[in-house]
Amino acid sequence: MGTNESLLSVRDLVVKFNLRGQVLTAIRGASLDLYEGQTLAIVGESGSGKSVFTKSFLGMLDQNGWVDSGSILFEGVELSRYKSQEEWRAVRGKKIAMVFQDPMTALNPLKTIGKQIEEVLELHHGLKGLHAAKAAAEMLGRVGISDPEARAKQYPHEFSGGMRQRVVIAIAMACKPRILICDEPTTALDVTIQAQILDLIRALQKDFGFTTIYITHDLGVVANVADRVAVMYAGQIVEQGLVEEIFYDPRHPYTWALLSSLPQLGVKHEPLYAIKGTPPNLFKPIKGDAFAPRNPKALKIDFEEEPPEFFVSPTHSARTWLLDPQAPKLEPPAAIRALRAAYERSEA
Amino acid sequence: MLKYSIKRLLQSLVTLFIVVTAVFMLMRLLPVEGYFGDAYDKLTESQREAILQKMGLLDPWYVQIGNFYAGLLRGELGVSSIYRRDVPVLEVIAPRVPYSVRFGLAATAMSIFLGLAMGIHMTRHKGRLWDKTWTAYIVFVTSVPSAVYLLFVQLYGTSLFKVPLLFDKYRPSSWILPVVSIAVTGIAGYAMWMRRYMVDELNKDYIKLARAKGLSDSAIMTRHVMRNAYVPMAQYLPAAILATISGSIYIESLYSIPGMGGLLVDVIQRQDNPLVQALCLIYSSVGILGLYLGDLLMAAFDPRIQLVKSEGAR
Repeated sequence: MGTNESLLSVRDLVVKFNLRGQVLTAIRGASLDLYEGQTLAIVGESGSGKSVFTKSFLGMLDQNGWVDSGSILFEGVELSRYKSQEEWRAVRGKKIAMVFQDPMTALNPLKTIGKQIEEVLELHHGLKGLHAAKAAAEMLGRVGISDPEARAKQYPHEFSGGMRQRVVIAIAMACKPRILICDEPTTALDVTIQAQILDLIRALQKDFGFTTIYITHDLGVVANVADRVAVMYAGQIVEQGLVEEIFYDPRHPYTWALLSSLPQLGVKHEPLYAIKGTPPNLFKPIKGDAFAPRNPKALKIDFEEEPPEFFVSPTHSARTWLLDPQAPKLEPPAAIRALRAAYERSEA
Repeated sequence: MLKYSIKRLLQSLVTLFIVVTAVFMLMRLLPVEGYFGDAYDKLTESQREAILQKMGLLDPWYVQIGNFYAGLLRGELGVSSIYRRDVPVLEVIAPRVPYSVRFGLAATAMSIFLGLAMGIHMTRHKGRLWDKTWTAYIVFVTSVPSAVYLLFVQLYGTSLFKVPLLFDKYRPSSWILPVVSIAVTGIAGYAMWMRRYMVDELNKDYIKLARAKGLSDSAIMTRHVMRNAYVPMAQYLPAAILATISGSIYIESLYSIPGMGGLLVDVIQRQDNPLVQALCLIYSSVGILGLYLGDLLMAAFDPRIQLVKSEGAR
């Protein structure tokens, strides 16, 4: 996998928002590489900037937000320089598509399913009339909707939640994009439907050969689908690596805390682990490691200087002073050690 | 759909019956002296009695209303009792209908066209200068009593555009000011609702998806936002149109237009019961019809609305 070319390369991205005259820094210098054909999961708690980060690849930041500095390189083109909506529309929906969280509200209730798919085909491929209708029905069939010709003439309210999410995926796939961004695609769905949707995306990925980014806070989904994981905290990617590296050899205290709060890792009859405190205020500049105030074992330097990116392996890196050669050796929490032990047993 | 239409039609008839009966009863509660006008003092007690007897006003109320509805079922609205004595009611009203309808339709067309355009313009400039300018207009029109600014329109409009002060059926230019006056309030109403519904739609999730598809802002506006905003507008439209047609009473008297509105005011004052009843019947039918058409129109626009319960599960 490491030999693959980087399809999307983000470097030191800073995204800011203007909220009633105050400037909020939502993304604070995040860097990320997306490799062709892989599945990347971005995890983190609410407000960590997962959605904003990916929206900036599509030029879909809210009107009060902007890319302040850094670069987004996609197919050799610098997206962060895009100014007009015209420029963005060549990428948006055509090369990078997005699937949203709530399929119940993501479709226009007054347009037939077929028309909503045709709209994309018409826009990006210039298909019209019967050709567009045929292509739309074909796409519906590809996402597992039976009797697609008839279903294309129906309205969203005649579809169940899972079916609507399939339609949203069909819309996203209609132009055969290079990258599919799934923003919590299963959060609003029934547990039984979730697995079906994940399987569908995986199957489509095999057929069409696109690259997927999942935004999620469901670590179960991550373990299920991802090749690589990026952990976000306070607008920064604090740790990234292959999925095994993140689950079984995490290095950042925040990743430890995140994994420890998985209910599955808790001990019966003991209270579930929860991360204390609240995420930092992004209106003010952050000194040192953003997670330090919530980390009971934070080092002195964590409060003073921002940790650089340390590489554990060519694929695995983390931004924590614990990886500095001078840092004291700190054992990860018991839950993390148990995870690693279980993994090593299964490998042996 | 047919079943629903019939059901709603029957409901409308009940409403109509209640309204017309209420008007009938209210007219009977007016003092009898009113029926004689200026001639009251010149008449003797027995002459007055004879007149009231002839109008059927001395019968018990249930006989009176029974006669009224019996006539109505035969298609007879009676004859004018005071305003133009013994002339059939329809003959009095008929020549006035075209004026009210024509003015109403012209004003409605103008208010819908300009109102929707204004609402769309406001949405596109939401929070900016144009939005605020038009909002100021809407606030002015809805809060200042219309008598005040309509008088200004009449006085200054007349001298500014060199058009006649009063309506003159032989001079087409005399149409302009009354139509504008009726439309002034209509425009404000349509603009306000259109903006509101469009902003509602703009904040919905499917707009985000439409944007992610790569649609341009103007395509999103025309294909999604405007189209969807018309649905709630559609429900309100027929009632508003009909209200414009029937509701220009003040304008009709301001410009001396021989329409139905002015007539209604006149005949209520002079207690010409058959005419009042007939006009009220027309006005309430028009109003109820408006609500009914609104529902049908909305159902036609919105696939989610099924007017009859569907059989079985989907």
